[in-house]
Amino acid sequence: MSAMDPTEVFRQEASELFEVLEGALLDLGQRPDDRELVDSAFRALHTIKGSGAMFGFDKVASFTHEFETAFDRVRKGEIKPTQELISVALAAKDYIRTLIEDPQSTDDIIGEAILDDLKRFVSSDQPAAPVVEIAEAPPLAPVESKQAGWHLYLEFESHILRNGSNPLDLLEDLCKLGPCFVVPVTDGIPFLDEMEPEDCYLKWDVKLHAACDKDAIDDVFMFVSDEMKLTLSPLEQVEAPAPMPLFQLLDEEPAPVVEMSAPVVEAVAAPVAAQPVARAEPKLEAKPEAKPEPKAEAKRDDRGIATVRVQAERLDELMDRVGELVIAQARLTQLAASGSDLSIKMIAEEIERLASSLRDTTMGARMVPIGSLFGRFRRLIHDLSRDLSKPVEFVTTGEDTELDKTMIECLADPLVHLIRNAIDHGIEDTATRSASGKTEQGRIELAAVHSGAQVLVTVKDNGGGLNTARIRAKAEEQGLIAAGAVLSDHEIHQFLFHPGFSTAQTISALSGRGVGMDVVKRTIENMRGSIDLSTRPGQGTTVTLRLPLTLAIIEGLLIRVGEGRYIIPLSAVEECIELTAEDERSRGRNFLNVRGNLVPFLRLREIMSSSGTPDRHQKTIIISTGETHVGLVADQIIGNHQTVIKSLSKLHSDVTIFSGATILGDGTAALILDVAQLVTMAQSKIEKQHISEAA
Amino acid sequence: MTDGLAAEHQADAMQVVMIGLGEEKFALDAGLVREIIDPVPVTKVAGARAFVPSVINVRGNVIPLADLRIRFGMPQPEDSADTRIVVIEIELDNEPVLVGVTADKVYEVTEISQTDVQQTPRVGMHWKPEFIRFIAKWREEFVIVPNMERILN
Repeated sequence: MSAMDPTEVFRQEASELFEVLEGALLDLGQRPDDRELVDSAFRALHTIKGSGAMFGFDKVASFTHEFETAFDRVRKGEIKPTQELISVALAAKDYIRTLIEDPQSTDDIIGEAILDDLKRFVSSDQPAAPVVEIAEAPPLAPVESKQAGWHLYLEFESHILRNGSNPLDLLEDLCKLGPCFVVPVTDGIPFLDEMEPEDCYLKWDVKLHAACDKDAIDDVFMFVSDEMKLTLSPLEQVEAPAPMPLFQLLDEEPAPVVEMSAPVVEAVAAPVAAQPVARAEPKLEAKPEAKPEPKAEAKRDDRGIATVRVQAERLDELMDRVGELVIAQARLTQLAASGSDLSIKMIAEEIERLASSLRDTTMGARMVPIGSLFGRFRRLIHDLSRDLSKPVEFVTTGEDTELDKTMIECLADPLVHLIRNAIDHGIEDTATRSASGKTEQGRIELAAVHSGAQVLVTVKDNGGGLNTARIRAKAEEQGLIAAGAVLSDHEIHQFLFHPGFSTAQTISALSGRGVGMDVVKRTIENMRGSIDLSTRPGQGTTVTLRLPLTLAIIEGLLIRVGEGRYIIPLSAVEECIELTAEDERSRGRNFLNVRGNLVPFLRLREIMSSSGTPDRHQKTIIISTGETHVGLVADQIIGNHQTVIKSLSKLHSDVTIFSGATILGDGTAALILDVAQLVTMAQSKIEKQHISEAA
Repeated sequence: MTDGLAAEHQADAMQVVMIGLGEEKFALDAGLVREIIDPVPVTKVAGARAFVPSVINVRGNVIPLADLRIRFGMPQPEDSADTRIVVIEIELDNEPVLVGVTADKVYEVTEISQTDVQQTPRVGMHWKPEFIRFIAKWREEFVIVPNMERILN
C-alpha cells in the first residue's frame, strides 16, 4: 500500500460528511421537527470540525465551531429551522467546503458575512421561539405533564476509555441538565488480578430531576451512543428533593421492580449487595427498550455496512483483467471443445464457471446505488426553485437501484440538464398553475428502476407539457422540416435533441440556449443508452433514460453476416425469426409481418456491404428500443456470447452503427452493433420511402 | 565522455524502423513503434474511412489497422510472406492511440542522419506534402519520413 496523503484522506472524508450534512439540512427544510436530522447534521459538523483541526485546517475548525454555536439553538429546539435559515446553513456548508478544497478562492469576509446572517436568523427568531415550542409541544405534552425527570441506566462498553471518552465528563454534562442523583453500579468490577486498568467496569444508575427533553439527554451521549447502552425511563413524579424521590418513585412502580431496585441505594454503601441490581437490569430495561433502538439504527445507517475504500482506478483495472480473463477463457473453451481430451474439457468448464462468477462479483463491486447521485439534485432543486420562485416538491424513488459507477458519473450532467429544463420550462409559474387549477407547488419526480438488463431513470414533471406546435414552428423556421410535412408528435419532439434547437423565447441564465438536449442525448447514447420523451399537454413531461446495467461486459448475441461476425446486445433482442420466402419477395418494401404488426427490417448484408452469396435461410433478429421494433436480417445466428466491450478508437469515431468491439474466442475482433443507431437508420429509411411513395 | 557521445549521437541521428510500402521505403520514427507483429485476421469496419478499413486484436486490445498505401494512392498487393503489422502509438486530440500499420516488408531498425535530411521537394511528388515530415538519404536511397499524426487525422 502506498502511503496516502493524510490531507487527501481528510478531504475525501469531509466530502462524504458534506453530503450527509447537506442531505440533513435539506430534509430539515421539509421536516423541521425531525430531531434525528438535526443530530445527524450536528454529528457531521462536529466531525468536520474535529478532523479539520487535526489536519491543520484551522480556519475550517474555527468557522465550523462558530457555525455549530450559532446552530446550537436549533439543536436545543429553541428555534425552528426555517427555509431561510436552511439556505444560510447551506451557504455556510458551501463555504466550509471551499475552505477545505480551495482555500485560495475565498475570503474570510464571506465567512464572516455568512456567520452574521446565521447569527441574525438565530437570534432574531428568539421572540418567536416560545411559539415554536408550543407548536411542538402537543405531542410531548401528555408525557411531560406527568413526568418530571428521567431515570437513566448507563452501561458503557469496556473499551470506552481507550477511545478517549470519559464517562465522568458525560455525567458532568448530564448534571448540567438538572439535579442528578448518580449511583455507580459496581457489580461488573472483577477481582483485582483480573482487572484491566484501561477498561471501564462501572455502570451508572442516574435519576435526573429535570423536566428536560429526551433529546437533551440523547445529545449528551451523542458521540458515544454506539459504544454504550442507555436505558431511559421517565420518572413519574418528584416533589421532594433528591435522593428522597427515589424511594417515592420506586413505591409507585410495579411491585417486583421495587423489591429489586431497592438495593440500588444500598449498593452505594455496600457494593457486596450489588448482585440483585444485575437481576433488576432487564426489568428496568424492558420498558423503554423501544427508545434507544431507532437511534442505534439511524447511526448504523450513517456509517453504512462495513466498507472498504478502494480507488476507482483499481476497480477499473480489475475489470480490465477480468475482461481479459473472460476472453482467454472463451479461447480455452473453444480449444477444449475441438479436442477430445476429456480432462481438458472439464478444466475448461470449471474455468468458465469461475470466470463468470468472478465477472459477476467484479461487476457487483463496481455497482453504486443511484441514490448517491439523486442526493446532489436536491440542492439543485432547492436553489432553482428559490431563484425562479417556483415552489417545487422533489420526490425521488428507487435510490437503491444500482448502476455501474462510471455510468453514475456520466449521468450527473444529463440529469442536471433535464431537471433544470423541468423546472425552467416544464413547471409553470404559480399564477399559471393556479389559473389552470393545479396546486401552486410543482412536482418533479426522479425515479430509477430495474427493467431486465436495463435501468430506467425517469425525470417527470407535472408542468405544462411540451408545446408541440411551437417546436414544429421552430423546426420549420430553422429549415429542419419543410412547411406542412406530415410528422407524428413523436418525430416532432425529436427536434428537441437537435443541436442548437431551442424554443425558449427568452434566454435565461439556466436554459434556452439550445445547447444541452443534444449533449444529453449524445452522452446517453455514448453509454449505449437511449432517451424517450413523452408528454401530455397541461399535465407534464416525462423523460425516460434507458441505460445498460454496466459498461464493461454485456450478454450479446453473436451473429454472422457474410464473412463478418457481429454482436447484438442481448438486452435489445426481442426474438429471432426466420425470414420467409414471402418476406423475401417483398423486396423494396422491407416490412415484416410479425403477428399482425408491421416491422421494418434492415438487411445487414447491405449495410456491411458483404460479399459472397447470402445463406439460403436468412434469419431476422427483432430488436427494440423503447416502443420501436426493427428487424435485422443476418445469415446465421451463432449464439450467446459474453461480450467484453472494447471501445473503438478515435479513428473510427465517424462510424456510428457500431458502439464498440469485442474479442471472440478465436482471437479475432468482432464489432458490436449500436441498436439505437440502427433503429434510427431504419426509421429514416422508412421516412424516405414514405416521401418517395408520396411523390 | 559517454554523455557527450550520446548527446552528439542524438543531435544528428534518428532511430527509425525502415518499412517498405510498394516500391517506396518509409522510415518510421522508432520512438513511435510499439511492436511489429505477423499479420492477424482483420475485421472489416463497414462505413469507416478508406485508410482505416478494419480493426485487429493486439494483445486483447482492439486497435484500428491503417493502410498507408491507400492514403498515398498506391496499389495494395495481397499479403505476402514479408507482410507485417507495425503497431505505433500516436497522439490524436492529445490522447495516445495505438494504430496498426500494414507494411509490405520491414527491413531493419537503423539510424538516419539528420545531416542527410533533404528538404521536401515541391514538385515531382505524387503525394501530399503535408503527409511527409522530410525526406532523408539512406544508403544512396531516398527514404520518406512520414508525418503519422497528419496522415491519420
